[in-house]
Amino acid sequence: MKTIIGTYGTAIAGAAIIIFFVLFAPRFASGPNIVNVLKDTSFLAILALGFTLALIVSELDLSIAEVSSLSAVICGALVHGGTSPAVAVAVALLVGVAAGAFNGVGVTRLRIPSLIMTLGTAAIAKGLGFMITQGVGFVGRWPSSFTGLSRGDLGGVPYLVIWMAIAGAAAYLLVNWTRTGAHMVATGEAVEAARLAGVATARMKLLGLTLSGGLGGVTAVLLAANLSSAAPNMVGDYFLYAIAAVLLGMTMFKPGHANVLGTLYAALVLKVLGNGLVLMGAPYYWQDMILGLIIIASVAFSASVLKKVAFTV
Amino acid sequence: MTGEPKPALLSLGGVGKLYGGVVALRDVDFEVREGDVLALCGDNGAGKSTLVKIISGAEAPSSGELRLKGERVSFASPHDALMKGVATIYQDLALAPRLSIWENVFMGAELRRGGPLKLLDKRRMAAEARRYLERLSVRIDDMNRPVEGLSGGQRQAVAISRALLWNADVIVMDEPTAALGVKETAQVLDLIHRLKAEGKTIVLISHSMADVVSVATRVVILKAGGKVADRPIEGLTPNDLRQMIMNDPVLA
Ligand SMILES: Nc1ncnc2c1ncn2[C@@H]1O[C@H](COP(=O)(O)OP(=O)(O)OP(=O)(O)O)[C@@H](O)[C@H]1O
Ligand SMILES: [Mg+2]
Repeated sequence: MKTIIGTYGTAIAGAAIIIFFVLFAPRFASGPNIVNVLKDTSFLAILALGFTLALIVSELDLSIAEVSSLSAVICGALVHGGTSPAVAVAVALLVGVAAGAFNGVGVTRLRIPSLIMTLGTAAIAKGLGFMITQGVGFVGRWPSSFTGLSRGDLGGVPYLVIWMAIAGAAAYLLVNWTRTGAHMVATGEAVEAARLAGVATARMKLLGLTLSGGLGGVTAVLLAANLSSAAPNMVGDYFLYAIAAVLLGMTMFKPGHANVLGTLYAALVLKVLGNGLVLMGAPYYWQDMILGLIIIASVAFSASVLKKVAFTV
Repeated sequence: MTGEPKPALLSLGGVGKLYGGVVALRDVDFEVREGDVLALCGDNGAGKSTLVKIISGAEAPSSGELRLKGERVSFASPHDALMKGVATIYQDLALAPRLSIWENVFMGAELRRGGPLKLLDKRRMAAEARRYLERLSVRIDDMNRPVEGLSGGQRQAVAISRALLWNADVIVMDEPTAALGVKETAQVLDLIHRLKAEGKTIVLISHSMADVVSVATRVVILKAGGKVADRPIEGLTPNDLRQMIMNDPVLA
């Protein structure tokens, strides 16, 4: 019983939250609103998957949102300037990957704690974003070959949800069913033991942080395409949400471990919560306060289940 | 003693190690023969851990040479030593506490299925981890249990399984019974007896002379970085060993 609560307790609580809003929030259960929540969940989930992969190798990536914003701005600038969407998308993804690799090199080669390294990267990315846009965003009627990436649906399932499913499935497969994933997990769990067993721990840390940046790039492309605009700090609102999703996700399925399923499910719960509160007339600033409480409570819950520190990087 | 002497599996010739101005080891010659359970004894600071670090690939000697089956070798890292046949079980066991038994046993050597995706073969890893443990007479019902919940003896068995998995020629154990209770110590000694019965070659550091007398076939005693005794264990009592470590090597 105790292990059931430890493993699924918060997942069940999350389900209760969803059911609550379905029953009581006005217009929550309407088709368009559900589609909206799912789309918003997709951006969050993909970004949070990046944070998850970094955390699996025991590194924090505090630059996800700013790197993603920078990537979006560069993508937007290119599309806006008439570059072919395929090139713009490729460049945007590359920007994310490069920023992630930059973090990875700083952490593994220069031995800078990821907390500091990614904070520095975040500041640099933010500055670059403002430099490129001069503070204003790019908005326009962009080619549908670009915006179509993230608008429309396949048999009623929004493309965004499909992208989320693909990213989630790929991350799940990587972490749980491949040798590389096993090496990432071993690196995150016991770096010295992994090194002695011949795991290329520095390469795994580099990989985790690079993938985190790359997923920031994916989020950027989808967000810019969906909104047909790009502005500095446009992913900023997802930052706290992403961290909360990963930490809340750590309380379920595999308590104490950052895990892909937990992150995806927690992302949905958090977006339902945010949307439901708005529909019920709660002031917007409640969201930040609730996210803060969820972040703290999640780590406390994990610690109580594990009977020790739940979170170390 | 009858028959041909077995060839030296691992030998050190004139090995020295300096740490800055500190002489941790001086001119140590030392051989491990197949089937030996060689106990490495000596007082604090005698150089035991330094010697183990050299044969496990964690440190390079400042002078002298290492031979494995007669061939000169140098180990670039503990993993390199492992690949060449020397597996070291560290004092802190180098396990990942929150990972499962099979994940620990197969860390760095994960089994995969065929097919284009080469997905992990978790079922086979769990089954084989169980087999390795049973070979050591350790029965644990659930291979998915995290190793942090296991007893000290069981954890030692998980660490030893890893050495068995790599099919190491020499298994080096640094104080495997330190920090263990009476019952767990007995369990670990039993593990060593089993390895011995399988003909495994073991180098064992221990401060417990009773343990040494119980499992070792040979003993090497270090003092201030130099070798002061190297002989079969036969006929020695724990007290003799203590004398040899503290006093001049009258018995050596
Ligand atoms: N990294 C190091 N730097 C400087 N001196 C060292 C280092 N490692 C060991 N020494 C010194 O080398 C000598 C041998 O140390 P070693 O750790 O090998 O002894 P030991 O026999 O394992 O002792 P113990 O029984 O206390 O574990 C000691 O004088 C020690 O202080
Ligand atoms: Mg020592």
